[in-house]
Amino acid sequence: MISRVADHCFWMGRYVERAENAARVLSATHGLALDGELPAPQCWLPVLIVAGEHPAFTERFGASAAGEEEFVQDYMTWDEKNLSSLVCSVNAARENARSIRDLLSVEVWEAINEMYLWLQGEAAHADYVENRFGFYGKLRTHTELLLGLVRTTMLHDQALDFIGLGVLLERAGWTARVLDVHHHALIGQNLGDRAADTGLWLAILRACSGYEPFLRHARGQMSGLAVATFLLLEPKFPRSVRYCLEAAGERLCLICPPGSDELPGSRTRKRLQFLDQWLRHVKLSHTDPEALHQALTQVVDETAAVCNGLGEELLGQGPTSASATSGETAG
Amino acid sequence: MSDAASRPTPVELPPAARLFHGYRFLENTYDELLASDGVPRPAFRQAVEVLSRKSAEEVRRCQALVDRALLSRGVTFSVYSDNRGTEKIFPFDVLPRMVSAQDWGRIRAGLEQRVCALEMFLDDVYGDGRILAENRIPANVVLASSGYLPQVRGIRPHGGVRIHVAGIDLIRDSDGVWRVLEDNLRTPSGVSYVLENRVMAKRAFPAAFDRARVHPVDVYPARLGDALRSVSPAPDDPTVVLLTPGPYNSAFFEHSFLARTMGIDLVQASDLFVDSDRVWLKTTRGPAPVHVIYRRTDDAFLDPEVFRPDSTLGVRGLFRAWQKGNVALANAPGNGIADDKAIYPYVPEMIRFYLHQEPTLEQVPTYLCARDEDCAFVIDHLQQLVVKVVDEAGGYGMLMGPQSTAELRSEFRRRILADPRRYVAQPRMELSSCPTWDGERGCFAPRRVDLRPYIVSSRKGQWVLPGGLTRVALVEGSYVVNSSQGGGSKDTWVLKS
Repeated sequence: MISRVADHCFWMGRYVERAENAARVLSATHGLALDGELPAPQCWLPVLIVAGEHPAFTERFGASAAGEEEFVQDYMTWDEKNLSSLVCSVNAARENARSIRDLLSVEVWEAINEMYLWLQGEAAHADYVENRFGFYGKLRTHTELLLGLVRTTMLHDQALDFIGLGVLLERAGWTARVLDVHHHALIGQNLGDRAADTGLWLAILRACSGYEPFLRHARGQMSGLAVATFLLLEPKFPRSVRYCLEAAGERLCLICPPGSDELPGSRTRKRLQFLDQWLRHVKLSHTDPEALHQALTQVVDETAAVCNGLGEELLGQGPTSASATSGETAG
Repeated sequence: MSDAASRPTPVELPPAARLFHGYRFLENTYDELLASDGVPRPAFRQAVEVLSRKSAEEVRRCQALVDRALLSRGVTFSVYSDNRGTEKIFPFDVLPRMVSAQDWGRIRAGLEQRVCALEMFLDDVYGDGRILAENRIPANVVLASSGYLPQVRGIRPHGGVRIHVAGIDLIRDSDGVWRVLEDNLRTPSGVSYVLENRVMAKRAFPAAFDRARVHPVDVYPARLGDALRSVSPAPDDPTVVLLTPGPYNSAFFEHSFLARTMGIDLVQASDLFVDSDRVWLKTTRGPAPVHVIYRRTDDAFLDPEVFRPDSTLGVRGLFRAWQKGNVALANAPGNGIADDKAIYPYVPEMIRFYLHQEPTLEQVPTYLCARDEDCAFVIDHLQQLVVKVVDEAGGYGMLMGPQSTAELRSEFRRRILADPRRYVAQPRMELSSCPTWDGERGCFAPRRVDLRPYIVSSRKGQWVLPGGLTRVALVEGSYVVNSSQGGGSKDTWVLKS
C-alpha cells in the first residue's frame, strides 16, 4: 500500500474519531453544567485541556473566557482556527477521504460527504441554536454510521487496518486525557460533596460512552476509583485505554506481522505492544493517588511516540533513503 | 429557410416528430437529429420513435432525476476560483446525440489514420527529421514551437508508443461534413464523463437505448489498462500507476475514476522517487518498483531536474528513468509539438508523407499568422475569423471575431503583430446542432455540439472508443462548448450497423 494513501486512511480515521469524541465530551459537559453543581470554569476548562487547546485558547481570548459556557462551545464547534473544533475535524476527515476516494466504498464516501454537507448547511446551525444535545447527537450519528459502513462495505484489507489504527489510537488518547484532567477528582482529593463528585464521575463516564456499561459492570457500585479503573483498564469495554491499545496492537500486527523485523513498522509495533503489556500490570488504589496520573502520563506520551513512529516508518513522513536493492526484496 | 415554426400548419407529422413540434432550427446550421422538414433523419428514426412517446413533462422529470443523481454520485470537476477547490457538476443533457454506423465507420478509419501519422511524425521530428529535411513542413515552425522539447531528441520510448491516449475534437459544418477541429495528444481528459453519461442515459431512456442498438463504452478502462501494460519494460506482472497532480486538479474526479475502474494505484508525485534510474513507489512495505506511469501531469511539471525547477508536482529523475527505458510514460513527453495549432494545418501533409494515403477526415481551413500573407489577411478580416493561441487549450485566449468588440479586435491586432507565431485563425464554423432540453421553456431547442472521440494506442496499434464526449454549448446562440465556459455534455450513441 502506498504510504501516502495509508497516511490518508490513518488520518481520516483519527479525524472522524476526534470529531465524535469532541461531540461526546461537549454533550456530557453541557449536561454536567446544567446540573449547576459545579462552577462554570470547572466544567469547561477541562474540555479545552482534553482537546489540547488550553494554551491557544487562553492566548487568544484570555483566561477568564474558559468560564463562558457558550463561548467555549462555539470555539470547540465552529472555530476554523481551532484544529480540534468539530468543523475542522470534519473538514479534515473529508479532505483525507477525497484523496483516497478511489479506495473508499461509495457508501463510505457518501456518508462522509453527507456529514460534511450537513455541518456546512443551515440545518446544523439551526440544531445548534435550538437543540444543542440534538446537534451533538446528530454529529455522532454521522460518525458512527460512517465507521460502521467502513467495516460493513469495504474490503477488510490494509486500508481498513490503517483507518482502524487511527481510530483506536485517537480514542486511547482521548480517554486517557479525559481521565487525566480529572484524576484528582477520581482518586484522592474528592470534592467532598457526594452529589458533585457523583455528577462529575457520571459526566466522565458519559464523555466516554461508558455510563451504562460501567453500571452493569460495577453492579451500581459507584466510586472514583472504580470509574478510573474501568476507563483505564477494563479489557471488555471498547473505549478503555487498555482495550484500545490492545486492539491497535492487533491492527498493527496485521499491517506488519511479528517475526518480520526487517519490515517497516516493526519498531513501532514493538513499542506499542510493550506499552500494552506494561499497562496490564498497572494497579490503581486509594493509597497511591499519583499512580493514576503517572500511568496516564506514560500512556499519553507513549501513544504520541507510537503515532510519530508510524509516521516515520509507514506513512511516508520519514526521509526517503531506501536503497533500490533492499527495496526489491521488500517490494 | 428551415424554420419549422414559421410554416403554416405542419401537415401530418409522423409520431416521431411530435416531441420536437415547434423546434426552431438555427440558420445555416446542420441539425444532426432532424432533417429540415422536422422529421428525424432515417438512421435515427427507430430510436426517436420510442423517445417521442415521452411527454415534455416526462422529459423534464428525467432531466431532474439525472441532475440529482450526478450531484449525489459526486460527478464533479473542480474550479480554481478559491484555494479550497470548489466542486461543480458537469451539466448533462438527457437527450443523447446519435451517430450513424455509416458515419462512424468513416470517422474510426480517419482517426486511426490520423493518430498513426501523428505518431510517425513525433518519431521523425525527435529522430531523423526526414519531413523537415524534405521541407514538407517548415523546420522553423516546428523548432520554434513551445511544444517542441529539445530534451526528447534522440529518445525512442519503450514499447514504441508516444500517443497512448489521443482525444481528437471533431465538428460538423453547415453541410454536415465531419471535420477535425483540433488534436489533443498530451493529457486529453473527459473520458470518465463518457462512461458516467452512459449510466445516466440508460437510466433515463432504457427503451430507446435498447431499440437504438448502441455500442457499449464501458470497456474503455480495460482497453486502456491493456494498452498501458503492453508498453511495460517488465512484461511479467507490471506495476501500472496513475499519476495525478492531486485532489485540487480540475480533473481529479476523472483520475480517481480511472484508477478505480482500471484497478491501479492513484499516486501523487510525492509517492514516487527515482533511485539508480528506476522509479519506486513508497509503500508501507518499503519501496516497490513501478513500470508504467499513466501521468495526468503536464510535461512542464513532470521532472524538476529537466523541466520547470519549481515544480512540486514532479518526480526528480523521472525523465532519466524514462530515457533509459526503465519506465514507460503515457503519454510520452514532447507530444505538444504534434498538437500545436500551428502544426495542425500540416497534418494532411503528414498523412501523405508517411502513409502515402489521402486523409480520410477533412479539417478546417487555417491561416497561420507565421506566414506573412496569412497574417496580413487575418489582420484585415478579424471580424469574420476565430483567432486561437497555438499553445492554449480549454477555449482560453480565443477571439470570436463575429461576436467581438472593436476594442478587443484592436487588442488582438496588436498581440498578433507582436508575436505572429503564436496565432492561427480559422473561419467561424457553424457547428452542427442537436435538440437539447431547454428547462426554462420546457421544450427542445437546437444547441451546438462537438465530439471528442478517444483513441487508445498499444504496442499492437490503435483502438477507437465507439462513442466519445459530446460537448454542447448550453447557452442559446453560443459556439463555446468548453465546460469551463458554460458547456455541458450529452451521451453519444454510436449505432451498430
